[in-house]
Order: sequence, then C-alpha cells, then structure tokens
Amino acid sequence: MTVFIYMLLGFLIVCAVATCLHKTLLTSIIIFMAYSTVMSIIWAILEAPDLAITEAAVGAGVTSILFFITLKKIRAVEVTEQEDEQKKK
Amino acid sequence: MSKKRSDYKTTFYSRIENYVNGKDEFLFHKEVKDDTVHELESLEAELTEAADLLEKREEQQRIQDNSEPHDFLKRFHRLYGIIATLVCATLMVLLLITVSWLPRFGEAANPANNVVTKRYIEKGEEETGAVNIVTGLILNYRGFDTMGETHVLFVAASCVMILLLIAEGEEKKSSYAFDRYLEPKNDIIIQKTANFLVPAVFIFGIYVILNGHLSPGGGFSGGSIIGAGLIMYVSAFGFKKTERFFNERIYKIAKVSALCFYICCLSYYFYMGAHGYDNHIPLGTPGNIISSGLILFINIFVGTEVACTMYAFYALFRKGGL
Amino acid sequence: MEWIKFIMAVICMVFAAVMEIIAIYGVYKFKFVMNRMHAAAIGDTLALFLGALGLMLLRSSKWFSYKIIIVVIFLWMTSSISSHVIMRMEYNIDTKKVEEETGGK
Repeated sequence: MTVFIYMLLGFLIVCAVATCLHKTLLTSIIIFMAYSTVMSIIWAILEAPDLAITEAAVGAGVTSILFFITLKKIRAVEVTEQEDEQKKK
Repeated sequence: MSKKRSDYKTTFYSRIENYVNGKDEFLFHKEVKDDTVHELESLEAELTEAADLLEKREEQQRIQDNSEPHDFLKRFHRLYGIIATLVCATLMVLLLITVSWLPRFGEAANPANNVVTKRYIEKGEEETGAVNIVTGLILNYRGFDTMGETHVLFVAASCVMILLLIAEGEEKKSSYAFDRYLEPKNDIIIQKTANFLVPAVFIFGIYVILNGHLSPGGGFSGGSIIGAGLIMYVSAFGFKKTERFFNERIYKIAKVSALCFYICCLSYYFYMGAHGYDNHIPLGTPGNIISSGLILFINIFVGTEVACTMYAFYALFRKGGL
Repeated sequence: MEWIKFIMAVICMVFAAVMEIIAIYGVYKFKFVMNRMHAAAIGDTLALFLGALGLMLLRSSKWFSYKIIIVVIFLWMTSSISSHVIMRMEYNIDTKKVEEETGGK
C-alpha cells in the first residue's frame, strides 16, 4: 500500500509541474483534471471519503467544465473549417 | 421657445456644449470644412508614407545598434531567471527543513490532540446525535464557520452575476444564439444516455445529502453532485428544456430561502446555547435517518445552496444569464 | 476453492493492466485523433470490466458484487459517451481532415 501511495504522490507532483509548464491551455486543463482525480483517490486512502466525493465532483468535474467554457468564450478553441465555410456563405 | 442666433453654431458656448456632449472634439480649433476632405486624404497618404519611412529607418537603426537596449533586456531576463530560481530553491529548502522538524503525523503527543479533540471524539455522538463525527463537528460545534462558508458561496455567485450577467437586449440574443456553438445540437446518443444517468446522479446526490449525519458526505458533497447532474442535463438538452423546471425565479427563491432558513436554524441554536436554555429539539436514536436534531435540515439547506451555485456558475459562464 | 478464486482474480487484474498498457501504447502510436480515441475507449472498456470482475472474485460477497456491477454499468455509459462527445468536438473543429481520413461522407 505504501508503494501505491508513493506512486500516486509522484504522479501528483508530475501532474502539478506539467500543468504549469504545458503550452496549450486545453491540455493543461486536462492534466489538472487528472491531478484532481488522483487527489480524490489520495483523500479516500487517507480515510476522508467526504473530501474524496467533493474533490471528484468539484475538482475533476465542475471546475474543469468552467475552465472549458471560459476557453470557448475567449475563443481559445479555434475552428479551422467552419469559420471558412461561414465566410464563404 | 427662445430664439437661437443665426450664427449660433460658431459661438464659443455652442462649441463647449458640443465638446461636453462628445459630438465635437475640436474645442478651440476651427471646424473642418467640407472642401478640405481631399486635402485631408492626400495628407493622410503622405502621413502613412512618412510613417512607413520612419518604421524602415527605425528598423535599420535597430539592426545597426541593437547592442544597448537588447543587451540590457537579455541580461535582465537572465538575472531575473537566476534570482527567481534561487528564491524558489531557498524557499523550498526552508519549508522542507521545517517539515522535517514537525512531529510525526498522528502521534499521541501532538499539540493537535488536546482536550477539544478528545471531547469531540468521546461525546460528539451523544451531544449532536450524528454518527458521522465530521458532520456533527462542522454543522454543530463549528456551525458558525460553516455558515460563513455558505455565505462565501452566496457572495461568489453574486459577484459572478455582477461580472457576467447580460442585460436584456441585442447582446443577450447574440449570446443565446452563440450558446450551442461548437456543440452537438440535439444529439440523440447523449440525450438517451442523459435520460438514464441524470436521475441516477440526482438520486445519489439526494442520498448523500439525506445521509449526511450517518455516512460520509453531507451538504457540500451532495450539493455539488446534484449541480453536476444539472450541468449534464443542460449540456444534453439545452437551456430551453431546463428552464421548464429550473429558471431564474426558482433559482432566486431556492437560494435565498435556503440561506434564510439556515440562518434561522443556526441563530436558534446560538440563542439557546448562549443563554443556557434547553433547545427542546429531540436528538433521537443515533443511526436513524430522522435524528440528530437540526443537522438533517441544515444539510438539506446547504445542499440546495451549493447545487444552485454550481448551476448558476455554469449558466452564467456559458450564456450570461440563468 | 479459495485458491482458484484468488488465481482467477489475479489473472483478471493482470489482464486488465495489460489492456490498459496496450491502450496507452495505442494512444501514443496513432497519429489521427479518432484512431487514438478508438484505442483508448476500447481498451478502457475491457480493462474496466476485467478489473471489476477481479475485484468481485477477490471479495466474494453478494452486496459488494451488486455495487461493483452498478459501478461498471455507470462507467461503461459515461466513458463511451465522453469519447463520443470528444469525437463530435473534433469533427466540429476540423471537419475537413476528419472527412479526408474517413473517406468523405
């Protein structure tokens, strides 16, 4: 079990660094989702299931959805083809 | 009606009035006549040519003497990087040394294991009636703290509303039209799956809220689960179908009434506790669903509040309105 | 009997882990988004089922098995649907390339 916890902690550090250093915003949000999921597993191992449920629902679910919507609003997710077609019309 | 002078437009006062109203920018200069449009165009062309020339010259100059400012900037960036790395490394080393001096996690002699913790663990179930010590702790012993957290949620939702709520008009129409941009419209696969999944998610959230004092969970976790279910329903069916059962009016009523009832429950507790009265609320047998006094109701109110906040965040971020 | 159950469970779990590794290899090997999605989704589905089967065999209690079956059904629905949504998003963003790769409409 200790080996498993150390693996999870190492994955957590890798995820945290990769979230900061990645260049694309979309990818760093997805890495942040992975971070939240691993964090919720660690909460469950530390015998705090309430926190695990909240982290899984808020950290991995709602927060990243809000990030995605923000990316859509500021047009960071670009359309290559559709806009061209709309311009032609 | 007062008579206007024939040459009113050229008087000083009218010019000031125009300037104040923002119609005319030239306060003390003569007005631009219509004949001078051509002259203006030629002037503009000359100006653009001159600007091009200037840019070219500047580029040449940059190529010629890029020694001083660029060198300085480069040196500054290098120094900045080195200093930032050093500061971060020293901070990390200091914090790690501090952590290594801390007592081991979970030892009996730790300062965290004092009278308060002992009391919570030994008499928590007896005094609050909740089997789940954590819920009894955060909703009963530390109810004031949790009330502050719920208010933080309320204020956060209000701030997002101030920032992102769009008033009625053209902008709202365009944002509603932009709403399902880049998304599958009426995708039957998602809709059929949402028909199965959304009730399951709702029931799980309600279960977590109602069993907050018996099993792990409570208002915050259950509310966020219900909020996630609402978001899934919206992304499958769109806002028009959601507004049948959850629109702005219901949002306002649910949120404000939940907060008010919550404050009523807690202030009853505080008043009775501060004056040393008996609060006349039966605790019931620990382990039953209807037990532990007001904790069950407080859980329901917190759950409503959190679910409304989650859905409001999603709707406001997505289309600027509920 | 206990030993046979244990060995079966271990075989299931190991096979699930191998499936996951193959899925990750596929995600990094393919170039086109839909191929990667296919590899990830299919590997995920089988690995999930095998892992859950191994858990059920390890702890052979009735209610635990029911819970695990519900979890498997939930995850099968959600993971396939999320793959579908990401695929739709890719199609919306880069319609031309998708049609080239899949041979037009």
